[in-house]
Amino acid sequence: MTETTFFRRTLPAQSPSAEVAVTGAPYFPRRKKGMTGRSVAVLVFLTICALFFCIPLYVVIVTSFKTMDQIREGAMFALPNIWTLEAWDHAWNTACSGTRCEGLKVGFWNSVAILIPSLGLSIGLSIITGYALALWNVKWAGTFLFVLFICAFVPFQIIMFPLISMTAALKVYGSIWGVAIIHSVLAMPVLVLIFRNYYKDIPQEIMSAAIMDSGSFWKIFFEIILPMSGNILIVVLILQITSIWNDYLIGVTFGGMGAQPMTVNLANLITISTGTVRYNDNMAAALLTAIPPLVIYFFVGKLFVQGITAGAIKG
Amino acid sequence: MNLRWSRWSPQLALVPAGLVTLIAFIGAILWTIYLSLTRSRRLPEYAIDWSEWGRQYERLFKDSAWIISLQNLIILGLGSALAIVFGFILAAMIDREKRGESLFRTVFLYPLAISLIVTGAAWRWIFNPELGAEHFIHSLGLTWVNASWLARPETAMYGVILASVWQSAGFYMALMLAGLKSINSEIWSAARLDGVGLFKLYTEIIIPMMKFTFVTCAILLSLGVIKAYDVIVAMTNGGPGQSTYVPAYFTIQALSAKGNLGFASAAAVVMLLITAIIFLPLVLLTAWQQRRAAQGGAR
Repeated sequence: MTETTFFRRTLPAQSPSAEVAVTGAPYFPRRKKGMTGRSVAVLVFLTICALFFCIPLYVVIVTSFKTMDQIREGAMFALPNIWTLEAWDHAWNTACSGTRCEGLKVGFWNSVAILIPSLGLSIGLSIITGYALALWNVKWAGTFLFVLFICAFVPFQIIMFPLISMTAALKVYGSIWGVAIIHSVLAMPVLVLIFRNYYKDIPQEIMSAAIMDSGSFWKIFFEIILPMSGNILIVVLILQITSIWNDYLIGVTFGGMGAQPMTVNLANLITISTGTVRYNDNMAAALLTAIPPLVIYFFVGKLFVQGITAGAIKG
Repeated sequence: MNLRWSRWSPQLALVPAGLVTLIAFIGAILWTIYLSLTRSRRLPEYAIDWSEWGRQYERLFKDSAWIISLQNLIILGLGSALAIVFGFILAAMIDREKRGESLFRTVFLYPLAISLIVTGAAWRWIFNPELGAEHFIHSLGLTWVNASWLARPETAMYGVILASVWQSAGFYMALMLAGLKSINSEIWSAARLDGVGLFKLYTEIIIPMMKFTFVTCAILLSLGVIKAYDVIVAMTNGGPGQSTYVPAYFTIQALSAKGNLGFASAAAVVMLLITAIIFLPLVLLTAWQQRRAAQGGAR
């Protein structure tokens, strides 16, 4: 007996046939014979929710293709009368962020420049630490893990000023490297915990055999452990790419004037209060910022969700 | 085992991470706590007048914007809790219905992939007082509807809540779906044989069985609410007036805009304390779960 029959028996639907006739057909092309009124109601509800979830994206997309003349008419949900890429051109090339009017391309390339060293530093530091903590007998491993667990929850504000002073003392404040170092520092606790949890399931026998084989710490890592880490590396990579790309707080705090990521440019653009606001430019800029993570999400959504769940405490 | 202890490489490999933890986390936290006791303004001062060490905290709790921030923190927390409720309803429906599961999952989770600045930009535009959704609703003849929430202090926080729920409901849905899938399928058939009603089945059997998932969600939500900063910047910038200030925004504002270091440090310390209060149950919960797992293994 299937679960749908369970529903049918315990809670009979009111008028299944009418609902199917009116609303059912367009939503479910592969209608099965087990379809009950309850199923229809559930699917209709889910579809309405899904449409609600799509509203902001729809509005942003249509607005970015409209002309300002049409936007001033006020029909927010209407399709563009004339589809134009003018706003996209403005957003990319001439939109103002603060006093500079060179478009979001500046921030885009800054974001890319921040992303690459951040990924290398954060993953390199965490994977070695996670490996050492999980597979080698090191002193204070339990204590260290507990401290890292606590660090993962610390609000950024409490370490913000000291980190600014430290990066200033190291002469990296306001540079790509400063932002990348802070990204690596703040991501470290969570990433170490993720790697450590992954490696601790490796059987002791493999490690014993590897050590017997006179393998050194680094040799075992590069020849045995790293080749086994493909799955977790790709999950962490996606988690880090999206969270670094989407970051605003670290970029605005440590980027100074020269190393502001794309999100900071976008925030400056949309919060501008002087002059006439060009909403189509703003929405094109928002889309430009959202496209890289969205592309990742739609292609490897499953890995993205795995990463988000594993790094959930990162917030 | 002796062989392993004798090796230095693993210990050396932990040095960078250990230094980062000691300096950038523990050291920095102590530094900020110390600064909160001083009279530091734009630049740090390291003299503490012990007769009035709590001066910054006194000023903090006399500051109306800070009180608003704390109130908004609670409002945002309660409002965002809708995301958990909504996430559970969506998960339960998707889990029962099965049809179109991957499509619905994809749609409900996509906001999570987008920067909160983009989310804020989109909702700021939808709530635009002149050209936004309100204009559209009025053009349908429903002129009594007020949809420009962000423009008015009384409703601005609800706009922020709506955007937060939109952004995070899919995440809680994913966690709840994982929880629902781990429930033994025999429960469903047993309930069917006993003739338990659907509503009763969920409220009396399924939800109690998933209490750990709910607690986890609640803790993650609270931590997210304390960290809420980006969405405020993008949607309201704290305004109108100071009506959408939250502690994370207040603290950064005190440091960067007002340049008041001791004061901002005191606010950050209070944020840390609030986090600790939420964090404590999580530690206890994990310990309890581990003990239960260990007992289960022994049996």
